[in-house]
Amino acid sequence: MTVNKINSAKDLVDFRRIIIEKKDPLEPIIAVNVSTCSVALGALKVLETLKKELEKSGIKEKIRIKEVGCAGLCEQGPMVIIYPDEVYYFRIKPEDVPEIISKTIKRKQIIERLLYQDPATGKRVSHLDEIPSYKHQLKLLTKNNGKIDPKKIEDYISVNGYTALSKALFEMQPEQIIEQIKTSNLRGRGGGGFPTGIKWETTRNAKDDPKYVIVNCDEGDPGAFMDRSLLEDNPHSILEGLIIGAYAIGAYEGYIYVREEYPIAAENVFIAITQAKDYGLLGKKIMGSNFNFDVKVQRGAGAFVSGESSALMTAIEGKIGEPRPKYVHTAVKGLWGKPTCLNNVKTWATIPLIIIKGGDWLKSIGTEGSSGTAIFSLVGKIKNTGLVEVPMGITLRNLIYKIGGGVKDDKKFKAVQTGGPSGGFIPEKYLDLQVDFDELDRVGSMMGSGGLVVIDEDNCMVDSARYFVDFLLEESCGKCIPCREGLRVLSKTLGNICEGKGEHDDIGTVEDIALTMENASLCALGTTATNPVLTSLKYFREEWDQHIKDKRCIAKACKSLTDYYIDPKECQACLICLRECPTKAIEGEKDQVHWINQEKCEKCGICYEVCKFDAVKKLSGEPIPSKPANGMKPIRKGVKQ
Amino acid sequence: MVKLSCHHCGHSWDYQGKTKYYATCPNCRYKVRIQPEKPPKPELTKRDLEPRKTLTKDKKLIGIAAIVNRVIERYQHDKSMLIQILLQLQNDFGWLPREMLTEVSKQLEIPLNRVYQIATFYKAFSLAPRGRHLIRVCMGTSCKVRGGDRILDQMRKKLGIEKGENTPDSRFTLETVNCLGCCALGPVITIDDEYYGNLKTADLEKILSKYS
Repeated sequence: MTVNKINSAKDLVDFRRIIIEKKDPLEPIIAVNVSTCSVALGALKVLETLKKELEKSGIKEKIRIKEVGCAGLCEQGPMVIIYPDEVYYFRIKPEDVPEIISKTIKRKQIIERLLYQDPATGKRVSHLDEIPSYKHQLKLLTKNNGKIDPKKIEDYISVNGYTALSKALFEMQPEQIIEQIKTSNLRGRGGGGFPTGIKWETTRNAKDDPKYVIVNCDEGDPGAFMDRSLLEDNPHSILEGLIIGAYAIGAYEGYIYVREEYPIAAENVFIAITQAKDYGLLGKKIMGSNFNFDVKVQRGAGAFVSGESSALMTAIEGKIGEPRPKYVHTAVKGLWGKPTCLNNVKTWATIPLIIIKGGDWLKSIGTEGSSGTAIFSLVGKIKNTGLVEVPMGITLRNLIYKIGGGVKDDKKFKAVQTGGPSGGFIPEKYLDLQVDFDELDRVGSMMGSGGLVVIDEDNCMVDSARYFVDFLLEESCGKCIPCREGLRVLSKTLGNICEGKGEHDDIGTVEDIALTMENASLCALGTTATNPVLTSLKYFREEWDQHIKDKRCIAKACKSLTDYYIDPKECQACLICLRECPTKAIEGEKDQVHWINQEKCEKCGICYEVCKFDAVKKLSGEPIPSKPANGMKPIRKGVKQ
Repeated sequence: MVKLSCHHCGHSWDYQGKTKYYATCPNCRYKVRIQPEKPPKPELTKRDLEPRKTLTKDKKLIGIAAIVNRVIERYQHDKSMLIQILLQLQNDFGWLPREMLTEVSKQLEIPLNRVYQIATFYKAFSLAPRGRHLIRVCMGTSCKVRGGDRILDQMRKKLGIEKGENTPDSRFTLETVNCLGCCALGPVITIDDEYYGNLKTADLEKILSKYS
């Protein structure tokens, strides 16, 4: 295909018209979601079978296969959409493909069992907008995810892509753009919440050249994946925002820093850059204006600390990612010692929207202090896991119960963890809190990049705090002592408590270290590292006391404090656990109640997982009941479904 | 018992004394050094037997030097691209042997300690050979609350190795990763480039048997 360069605003409008005219609204298309989460559930096999089956039935030429991104319902993958009727099928397996072709494609019948099923009511719906959890969302950034092919710039242009760039280049002055961003009150979506407009202005006014712009996609927070999803499923929106930002700031070079663990995201953004260059939307004389701008993709090499702005810049310079004290802000002295504006993926993706609709529009959404929408990844023990986009100021209760559908398996809610290892645990009493930057800060947590992990009664709060400490201990770069040594002692102390070796004054030690780290660490990684520990201690003190005094873990999650035991009244002597036990600790035979030999038991929990009768119980801090009489017959019950 | 031979008079005998460092030659009373027992050399792999020479007669780069040169050329000898170059090499070769890092340092004109600093700081790099298949167990928050640590425990027991180690038959290397970004599907593992989501400990056997 010959590519005509877009040399003016009119060219873009014409080009879009041609794309839309060419598109046949009745063309049958099968769209398959091929983002990372779907691939993990076997989307590539579905795609392969689809191609084979179409060839077999001889309608290959009539039907177009399209690869799209994720629509936010990650656990329901792989997702397949049938156009023109826009029927959404979920949890597709390769075996379902022939049926889809013979029924939905050829006879326009809808296959009921493949439609989305609402976990709460069991009702099936064929269209995304009818899904209950979608009704409470406000999709701005993720609107086109799952609808456009991330590897085709034409798809993005057809949904008004690059209109904002054309408006910014030909109708606005750089100062006006920055003024609009400031009016919108957009705050950095990476977690810090620094006003973006002010950052841009500082970089623009810094008296040094050249200036740089950077997209931070080093999304190291465990439990968060919205940056990956945006970059994978709609890379052009970020690229457009970046080009506008570079124009406003006066930069000629930009970097997109992508984590090593996100290969598909890096690939898609690389394709996007190549395509944008082909069309003259990037490179020299963008869209025929006098503005030149070039972007490079840099891949990280696996270091959490590289997500910190100054550390990320040293990583781009080809050095080890270590933060530096920021007496001089990176907006003034950043990459190669030059003024650098670094923003998160979501921040850049919001820019085109502000340019088109104006700063006041964004300000009207959300709360007074934090405008716009927030993207959360609802994960952990929740029914509807996936990505959701909601206006700022929504309550946690609405987020978890209305959109998320409540706690998985209807267990009791214990806490919600926001902000990754730098955030904290929020207990049930704060569920009516309005989510925005300042409110979350007030209860000791933080917005972070938007991971929202729901924790239920089966998770131990001490163990969860210890998990984050261990995580940070491994990831600390070791430059400053409070973080390096503080985390080590914290890890050891928390480890002891979880193993039942906790002592009375341990809590005091933990608090002392946490205070020191908060005051004396070099970068935000260290100063916020203690948030999970402190919030866990503040809101769940009784659990800590139980671990230390009674040597008991109420959630039965700490291995050393938990014992497994088979209830003779429930056991059906089915031999399943006996066969699965890796250490052969389970005694018994057919038609004889099983028993766990505690001396051999390694507490791996497999018997607990495989038991179909809920006969395996966990005990903590209680004596193990004595062994039933030899040859005891099981009390028969039906299999629990 | 150590077999010793005197380099003064040439007499050789089986030494049975207790001292660790020196023995006296029974023939000429000369002090003979006892060499500490060396650990057996690891078996040479095919890779080790590749020519170590870096230049042929007509001054063309061969072996490791050529591999390194090809990658560095692609990045136009840009020193700031060191991380990207090492990532590419690691990707092509599977791990980063010492000779390779020395070559990178020589060709890019960067001190060897800088190269090692990078190679040891970032987790993606491996300075030891890896097995044929790389297993990465996700230890992200979401995977953890859904039982990721049990998967790791089970994997360690099944393979009989700790994280970061290779199986003796160099079939698998076991590593953990902090988040793969598939949090909705926890617990997740990847083997090579394949993702496995919503895992149960009982599924592991079946998955592992697919790889040889």
